[in-house]
Amino acid sequence: MRTTLAVAALLALMPLGLPPYAMTLLTEALIMGLFAMSLDLMVGYARLISFGHAAAYGLGAYTCGNILLHTDIPLPFAVLLSGLFSGTVSIGVAWVCTQATGVSFSMLTLAFAQLLYAVAFKWTDATGASDGLAGIPRRPGPFGTTFFASKIGFYYLTMACLFGGFLFARALVRSPFGAVLRGIRENEAKTLSLGYNTRLYKIAVVAASYMLGGMAGALYAPFAGFANTELLFWLLSGQVLIMVIVGGTGTLVGPILGAAFFLFVQQQLSIYTDSWALFFGVIFIGFVLFAPQGILGLARRGRPTEQHR
Amino acid sequence: MSLLELRNLTKRYGGIVAVNGVSMTVEPGEVRAVIGPNGAGKTSLFHLITGVVKATEGEVLFDGQRVTAMPAFGRCQLGMSRTFQITALFPEMSARENTSLAAQARDKQRWLPLGGQAVFAEAARRGDAALERLGLTHVAHRPAGLLSHGDQRLLEVAMALAQQPRLLLMDEPTQGLSVEETAQAVEVLGSLFAAGGLTVLLVEHDMEVVFRLATKMTVLHRGTVIADGQPDAVKADPAVQDAYLGGYA
Repeated sequence: MRTTLAVAALLALMPLGLPPYAMTLLTEALIMGLFAMSLDLMVGYARLISFGHAAAYGLGAYTCGNILLHTDIPLPFAVLLSGLFSGTVSIGVAWVCTQATGVSFSMLTLAFAQLLYAVAFKWTDATGASDGLAGIPRRPGPFGTTFFASKIGFYYLTMACLFGGFLFARALVRSPFGAVLRGIRENEAKTLSLGYNTRLYKIAVVAASYMLGGMAGALYAPFAGFANTELLFWLLSGQVLIMVIVGGTGTLVGPILGAAFFLFVQQQLSIYTDSWALFFGVIFIGFVLFAPQGILGLARRGRPTEQHR
Repeated sequence: MSLLELRNLTKRYGGIVAVNGVSMTVEPGEVRAVIGPNGAGKTSLFHLITGVVKATEGEVLFDGQRVTAMPAFGRCQLGMSRTFQITALFPEMSARENTSLAAQARDKQRWLPLGGQAVFAEAARRGDAALERLGLTHVAHRPAGLLSHGDQRLLEVAMALAQQPRLLLMDEPTQGLSVEETAQAVEVLGSLFAAGGLTVLLVEHDMEVVFRLATKMTVLHRGTVIADGQPDAVKADPAVQDAYLGGYA
């Protein structure tokens, strides 16, 4: 808890010292961090490998975009609503996808995300098709404040979502529910035979994951001012999975670091080459081979391992 | 009333009849062994009772309640706890976390998504008691995957006991153990059963183990029950000797 507060305080002070363009990067890193952390709930805690997590992000982004374009709902509420919507939709998705396990589960999540991608291209009224939704505003409010519409205010809103999401996710994985998830991760058949209806637990964790991932997407829409089909594309699903693995699965914090690392390396490499992804691929392979515990595992190496509860 | 009753239970896989019209009961307090040569249908019968596979025909009644169509986790919630033929544990968790997670399954608030310290405390208390009953307290904090094979088998029994089961189902409890480990396991299980309060149905092919542990026996041969009763009477049954025991008795 002390570490969490210290990191929060440090991030809260950032706007005092960083130039605007760095604040933009940092805001994006926090959004991506929330997105990657949401996927870690599935991948790291229940071994539910999703190849379609962009579905959560895109759902949140398009929902938030529409709310902000067509209603007067204040920005923070729009983000929360979009997260809840994404989580609710995912219950149906998870119900279908959890019919299968292992690779088949992963393929079904991918198929669902690609389905949404195809829908986004056709459903012009809601998504603007290939043009996307442009000019998404940051609605003022609540209570008449224009703070969250400002650049700094939006940063603090993003920070609040990330830390709120983190505290929620951490409480979840440390609860009795979280203990059952670890059982599913280690031996699902045994967990089932102990009397746990494992499928319900898996559906619930997918819903929580999509809710937080949806919030991340919902923040991205007013951050960038637009939402397009790329937010639903499989490339993003792959990238976020890489962020989780590079950061360290099953740690919540690791994937946030992984997202920041990914964006930073992307930023630096793309100054020199358009093929930055090629070099990042090498870094990724290096992590998988030599540091499968990820960035956080490297940081913790040599120290006594703490009990993850 | 019988705790467990099977009525004309049948399982067919295509043209193969694995279990053929088996009727039997398990009374409260008895330790019943189901024995039979390889391919007799023991494991299939076990799967039908635990709900891993669905019966083609017939009924399974638990404490008078029809559970034939109930999934495995539902049967467990009624009070049937099982161990596996091939040890099934959570290898990266400590022995204590294994029994605790098993006990938690019996808590009404087992799914609690936030907080839950009381759930953990109660589960740990029951889990620790089960570890102690099987003499595993000294390895409670070791990862389950690093225990000796014999201790792993006993840990699985401890997990089942932590659930305070009304019926304990054991699939070949000494499978894969060395001679010494088997003797040890039989001793621990024997005193556990002798202490009373448990109803057990075990499937086993090791005759030594069966005669040491069981108070009642059911003999399967080609999916059909050919004998049922006290171990001594079953041992003397010519049909059983012919089908299975060979020169043993």
